[in-house]
Amino acid sequence: MIGSDAFWIVLTGALVAVASGLLGSFLLLRRMALIGDAISHAVLPGIVLAFLFSGNLHSLPTVLGAAAVGLLSTIGIEALHRRGGLPGDASMGLVFTFLFAVGVIGVSSLGGNADLDQECVLYGELAFIGFEERLLGMPTSTTILLANLLLVLGVLGVGYRGLFLTTFDAGYAAAIGISTAFWHYLLMGLVSVTTVVSFEAVGAILVVAFLIGPAAIGHLLTDKLPWLLTWAAVSGVFASLGGYALAALLDANVAGAMTAVLGFEFLLAFLFGPYGWSTWRRRRPQTGLEKLRPLGAPVKP
Amino acid sequence: MTTAIADPVLEVHDLTVTYRQKPALWDIDFGIPQGVLVGVVGPNGAGKSTLIKAIMDLVPTASGYANCFGQSLDEVRQRVSYVPQRESVDWDFPASALDVVLMGRYGKRGLFRRLSNRDRRVARECLRTVGLEAFADRQIAQLSGGQQQRVFLARALAQEADLYLMDEPFAGVDAATERTTLELLGELRDQGKTIVVVHHDLQTAAEYFDWIVLLNTRLVAYGPKAEVFTPELLQETYGGSLTLLANVSELARKQNLPVRE
Ligand SMILES: Nc1ncnc2c1ncn2[C@@H]1O[C@H](COP(=O)(O)OP(=O)(O)O)[C@@H](O)[C@H]1O
Ligand SMILES: [Mg+2]
Repeated sequence: MIGSDAFWIVLTGALVAVASGLLGSFLLLRRMALIGDAISHAVLPGIVLAFLFSGNLHSLPTVLGAAAVGLLSTIGIEALHRRGGLPGDASMGLVFTFLFAVGVIGVSSLGGNADLDQECVLYGELAFIGFEERLLGMPTSTTILLANLLLVLGVLGVGYRGLFLTTFDAGYAAAIGISTAFWHYLLMGLVSVTTVVSFEAVGAILVVAFLIGPAAIGHLLTDKLPWLLTWAAVSGVFASLGGYALAALLDANVAGAMTAVLGFEFLLAFLFGPYGWSTWRRRRPQTGLEKLRPLGAPVKP
Repeated sequence: MTTAIADPVLEVHDLTVTYRQKPALWDIDFGIPQGVLVGVVGPNGAGKSTLIKAIMDLVPTASGYANCFGQSLDEVRQRVSYVPQRESVDWDFPASALDVVLMGRYGKRGLFRRLSNRDRRVARECLRTVGLEAFADRQIAQLSGGQQQRVFLARALAQEADLYLMDEPFAGVDAATERTTLELLGELRDQGKTIVVVHHDLQTAAEYFDWIVLLNTRLVAYGPKAEVFTPELLQETYGGSLTLLANVSELARKQNLPVRE
């Protein structure tokens, strides 16, 4: 059954990478890449709590409960920033490290519990996905991740224009009567759910790489949003394939290998992509100031 | 220095806006009649952008309100078109000029209904009006600053509104854009539309606008430019900068405006 194991691992990795790549593209454009980091850490206590209540990582209440904690953390970050007057990055750092710490305490005190140990929470256990109980003919995690990807695709399909407009120009969106908060929290909600259902496969730390990596690669390859999303998805699928091969070769952690491949893809895109290194100088905004003579410099005849 | 306006298109009443207890606008009261081109003038940090944002309900107000067409903004949003400051968005965003102009149709169409052929026609028409028809499919990152500003104008036009609020459409643009924009504003005014433009260049303010609103946290004056563009009022707006004061008298003379004692 080695062959079918490989298939489930690659498929599951790809499902994680595509869903988070699509969402990450919008996060990146909103200059909120690190909110993914924050959410992925903040959901941990939610996962522990939900696990304590339901004793099961795969139940719908677990997923929704943990995602709700992720969403709440973004509301907390906003509130500390807006009402508390704390700088945005500081309030983010405060909220997510605190929640993560609570989660770590929870996980470590549950100690030897087979279904929820530190290794799995931090690094994921993609390699063992093939041994999972079947749900609708696939390993349970795979089925859940497929459902999640369909949800993400559905919402992005229906809400494309809303996200497009509120991401590009929130001021104008609000001026024509669109609730920017709705679209913000819709995206945060999707990121939370995706993080929760992904963490078991790739771990709480590496899911951030999947949120940022594919989107950053897409950004280097195109300046059109539909293509950016496409490239993010494609590079995610390749990372899953390449990561599996690399992990098999080195006998290493699969999610880690996928992330390494993602990093390698990014390097290639940066070096050779049409919007990478070669155009870095050209793409810098022209302010006109660079043409000014520096103070004290001699006037050219 | 207040003029009573019958049936104002835009009415601002007792408006105060504070950022963290610090007032950016203090007790602003004025009205704008239909069919005039209004310049909002004042020094940096005078609250010009804040005024526009408060009218558009984009910043919380401490007191007072703004009405458009005698109704609250929510009732008449479709008829009010807002042009944000160009720097307020990231022009590296992966969108084409046409994509941005089509956003001007989102308000009418809603976010979930498909854009119609008419929407696309109107958007292209607006791009032509601002002289960018050849750039419809160009990515906005590749446009010059002036062209980006014109994309914003085209988006506002695509909304087919009656009241336009524009934040610094002349800031940092090339001569061609300045000319296009000015002609366009004149045409809109002649069609009976009302246009309020934030402008920071005193040199051209009296030339470009019919009405002037002088602002420096408080409302200094508003009305037809001949009544408002005086050395005293400009001094009150801009404070005691000597070089500026010298310029002000000269400016007023150049414009052949009455210099009152
Ligand atoms: N979001 C904000 N938070 C805090 N202070 C602000 C904010 N926006 C503007 N201000 C302050 O309010 C005042 C008015 O700003 P603004 O309306 O942008 O002036 P103008 O457009 O006339 O240059 C300035 O002192 C500015 O620093
Ligand atoms: Mg301003």
